[in-house]
Amino acid sequence: MRFDVYTSLLLSLLLSFVAPVIVGRVAPALAARVLTSAAVVTAAATTWSLVLLVAALLGDAPPVVREAREDGHRLVDPVPEVIGVAAGVALAVVVWRVHRAVHAERCTRRALRRLCAGQPADTELIVAASDVPQAFAIPGRPGRILVTSAMLSALEPGERRVLLAHERAHLAHRHGPLVTAATLAAAANPLLAPVRSAVVFLVERWADEQAAAAVGDRRATARALARAALTAGRARSACALNFTDRAVTRRIAALQASPPPHLWSAAAAVLTLGMLPALLAADATGDLLGLLSGVLT
Amino acid sequence: MAGTGSRGRVERRSAGALESEVLATLWATDRPLTPAEIQAEIDGGLAYNTVHTILKRLFDKGLVLRDADGRRGAYRPAKNAAELTAEAMHEALDRGPDPIAALQQFVTGLSPEEERALRELLAGGGA
Repeated sequence: MRFDVYTSLLLSLLLSFVAPVIVGRVAPALAARVLTSAAVVTAAATTWSLVLLVAALLGDAPPVVREAREDGHRLVDPVPEVIGVAAGVALAVVVWRVHRAVHAERCTRRALRRLCAGQPADTELIVAASDVPQAFAIPGRPGRILVTSAMLSALEPGERRVLLAHERAHLAHRHGPLVTAATLAAAANPLLAPVRSAVVFLVERWADEQAAAAVGDRRATARALARAALTAGRARSACALNFTDRAVTRRIAALQASPPPHLWSAAAAVLTLGMLPALLAADATGDLLGLLSGVLT
Repeated sequence: MAGTGSRGRVERRSAGALESEVLATLWATDRPLTPAEIQAEIDGGLAYNTVHTILKRLFDKGLVLRDADGRRGAYRPAKNAAELTAEAMHEALDRGPDPIAALQQFVTGLSPEEERALRELLAGGGA
């Protein structure tokens, strides 16, 4: 018998390598959904595996061992003590990271809700009279779109429609909860951080494709993105951070090409990859239960 | 996701979406606009009556002001609520990197060479 926890970690790494490959080759809506599902299941499985390792350590606890010896059971120790303790530490770190991520999400939600305070109930667009070009979607019921006056005056009429359609797509397809799920998965299993980044990028691509479909013009959508990026870039140059993940450029390039296909085979492969750690964890659970019942009865 | 590149396949916009578009148009322009001017600005083939109805709804909600700057029949956006919103937004953004990251901004930062490429794209298409 063995606890196949290490394979789950390897599978997490593999999923993280696969995620950037999927981005750009599969339709963003499909890719974002399968990557998030795979990440959530994998994170749950690796966390559960840590619980199993710690539980196996408890199986070594003196009262259990004494009782087992008294009952004449031969003890098989599936997990070296060092690994059990390390798993305990890792589990504590995971709990702390998830707690921190949940807290950050709550803070953001609260801050966003505050922005909607005092707005008429059935109004979609909230304008902020600010010189900082900004635009984002505020999930909720109803969902809202916040755009600053600086962003609105920088765009041409058709480009404003692209911006609104993009943010509307975030709300209609519940991209907020999707990204939250990927964020929590990456908090529980740091190896999945690249999957989260992929999902964050993919929901933007997804909203771009929706906006392009809504205005019926991919080129106009690309130009709206370019103008918004230039406007926002000028305002932000004072920060001198110069950090960029080339996200906007990649999104514009994608709009200048034809939309990526719904590659169901790739999606199925990602989902399978995500399910494997769950199967391994289920198997390990059975092993541990067998061991413990063997010792305790 | 019907991402065809064909022009003219424009979605039927809901009343809420049209309202957003009219409000965005008013905010994007420095001077007050008449319904006819708004109709011309929004190239979506909106009927004059529709624009008028939307403006009335926005007025009832207190989001726009009528007969602005002594121009009869012209509308401009109401600033007060928007300034409060801006204050709250800056407060939220200043609080730290976490809220900003989670806000799902429309666009993120640019490197100098990316900026050059984007300018070329806009110039090339005849902005």
